[in-house]
Amino acid sequence: MDAFKILEIKKSVYEGNDARAKSLRAELGRDKVFLLNLMSSPGSGKTTTILRTIEALEAEMRIGILEADIDSDVDARAVAKTGTRVIQLHSGGMCHLDAEMTRQGLAGLGTEGIDLVILENIGNLICTAEFDTGATKNAMILSVPEGDDKPLKYPVMFSMVDVLLVNKIDAMEFFDFDLEALRERVLRLNPKVRIIPISAKTGEGMDQWADWMRAAVRHCKES
Amino acid sequence: MHELGVVIEVVRTVLDFAERNGVTRIETVVLQMGELSSMVPKYIEDCYPAAVYGTKMQDTTLRIEILPGNALCGACGKVFNLLRNAGGCPACGSEEWELLGGKEFMIKEIAAR
Ligand SMILES: Nc1nc2c(ncn2[C@@H]2O[C@H](COP(=O)(O)OP(=O)(O)OP(=O)(O)O)[C@@H](O)[C@H]2O)c(=O)[nH]1
Ligand SMILES: [Mg+2]
Ligand SMILES: [Zn+2]
Repeated sequence: MDAFKILEIKKSVYEGNDARAKSLRAELGRDKVFLLNLMSSPGSGKTTTILRTIEALEAEMRIGILEADIDSDVDARAVAKTGTRVIQLHSGGMCHLDAEMTRQGLAGLGTEGIDLVILENIGNLICTAEFDTGATKNAMILSVPEGDDKPLKYPVMFSMVDVLLVNKIDAMEFFDFDLEALRERVLRLNPKVRIIPISAKTGEGMDQWADWMRAAVRHCKES
Repeated sequence: MHELGVVIEVVRTVLDFAERNGVTRIETVVLQMGELSSMVPKYIEDCYPAAVYGTKMQDTTLRIEILPGNALCGACGKVFNLLRNAGGCPACGSEEWELLGGKEFMIKEIAAR
């Protein structure tokens, strides 16, 4: 009998998902649907920010929301109250979404006539960064109580996002949070990222954020 | 826990590779995982038997190699481990560094015939 021999494979386990994500992104581009993947730790303010974003933009564009909590539909119900089209994804205990689940979510939501879809990803900063969802752009929220040292601990997440929202700036005085130090740390990992300080509670900074969204959606329509 | 999904992906990829390369029997599967990856080696090992059950890989052994989460210091050029140095260079204290590795999750090789 032949002996066992070593056969080199050298393939990233993420390759399959990366390929599916790429084709989803291309399809969304063709259909002129802008998909934003919104990530953060639990409780950083994803749902509150989404509600504010709907308020700011619903008169100008048609919005759909994908909610991806592990096992509750609290966030989806909060969004549904605004009259916005929303669907709760059942991620079956998963801690991140991949391109296939995102595709199924979009199909369930129905993207006909929709300009902007925001995906509220599952609250965690590690594996959500490793699985490309196929989104047009990736955003993350870091909230002030989490501290300005997070880029040192989660370099993978901070280096892959297109926009970073620094939320809960209304609470700045209660925390030892250095916005300049954060900016430096993040820009070193990711020189192209846009950083926007906001308070989803008071509405501060929401104009800049809404402008970023408007420009991104417009760019998607025109390209 | 997200390991089961990726282990199933590993099994799919290896079976596909075996099919295309005329492999009849696989003995060992070797994975490489970075320290900064969100995958926990112990969990990968725990769900491996379930993922290979009933496939041609049912009796294979899984081996995992860990790759370090290393960074290159931008100030003094030292290569250091990010996990063990709380994000800063142990030689000069600089926080300016470039990630060299540690995010990987690769199927490295198989022992087969
Ligand atoms: N002070 C302050 N509180 C905020 C702000 N934004 C959100 N919160 C509060 O933070 C808590 C969590 O907000 P959510 O919007 O539910 O956060 P989330 O990221 O969607 O949370 P999960 O979906 O559970 O991961 C709520 O009590 C919000 O009222 C803010 O800008 N300032
Ligand atoms: Mg939420
Ligand atoms: Zn140094």
